[in-house]
Amino acid sequence: MTDTTNARALVSLTLSFRPLANQIGPLRTLVSDLCKPHLADPDGLSRLLLAAHELLENIVKYSVGEAAEFHLQLEAETSGLLVRLRTKNRAAPERMADARWRLDALAAARDPIAHYDELIRESAGRRDVSGLGLARIPAESEMALRYATEQDWLILIAEGNTSERVRR
Amino acid sequence: MSALTLTAVGGEAFQVTPTLIDFNLRLVFTGSGDMNATAVVNEYLKLVHEEAIRLGLAQVSCDFKHLTFMNSSCFKSFVVWIDTVKNSDVRYQIAFLTNPALPWQRRSLEALRRLAANLVTIETIA
Repeated sequence: MTDTTNARALVSLTLSFRPLANQIGPLRTLVSDLCKPHLADPDGLSRLLLAAHELLENIVKYSVGEAAEFHLQLEAETSGLLVRLRTKNRAAPERMADARWRLDALAAARDPIAHYDELIRESAGRRDVSGLGLARIPAESEMALRYATEQDWLILIAEGNTSERVRR
Repeated sequence: MSALTLTAVGGEAFQVTPTLIDFNLRLVFTGSGDMNATAVVNEYLKLVHEEAIRLGLAQVSCDFKHLTFMNSSCFKSFVVWIDTVKNSDVRYQIAFLTNPALPWQRRSLEALRRLAANLVTIETIA
């Protein structure tokens, strides 16, 4: 599971799996255990885990077909740590269209927190799906979120920086 | 004052326990508010609002000291609850009691406070 060919990575984890709701908790614990020794403060870990949790729930809720992928990379840079989370799953056409619409709106927003607040206000009167999970990532994790598509595969990438525990 | 009809809900992984003291209802959340907790939180907050109106409560406090995480679906249930109170003829205050060792709480709950700054307060508990 750990990619030993990536010498710069403090952690590199790639997982292919059939996503189930009861796997999210153990995966979150695994991410925490792998990253905690390298992070300088609880806030950095908390932000990383929030993003990982929302991305994992996203693939559990919206994957079609059996396979999905989750990738975590924690890399040391001169200015600290670079965190990259990546998920890949097949999505139904309507879900793909909805995700693209949400992610394009997010990318176009100047201020992710103001955008998140606006989505919260809009969602208040609706009793259906949350629709807040992806927007929560940049607003609360302070990680940039982008996407790509490959036919019916949706790829989400969250990236951000955090402080490294002094150890070298 | 009438007796509280709300009871504790949830199980080992997630639980909400209510306590009524005078006109303040305290809800103690324990565990992880993840996908398995979403329906429980959603339904429970509806009952909380009905109870708050019935009892004429001044405040409902949500104690998150032992709430390790809350996903966006559970968060959305709080959005709906706060919006319901905001648009109700009879209002009460909502206080969130946060654990400083769990940094996600402050960031998530600030978004709820911004939704209804006149109703929602955030306090830190030791």
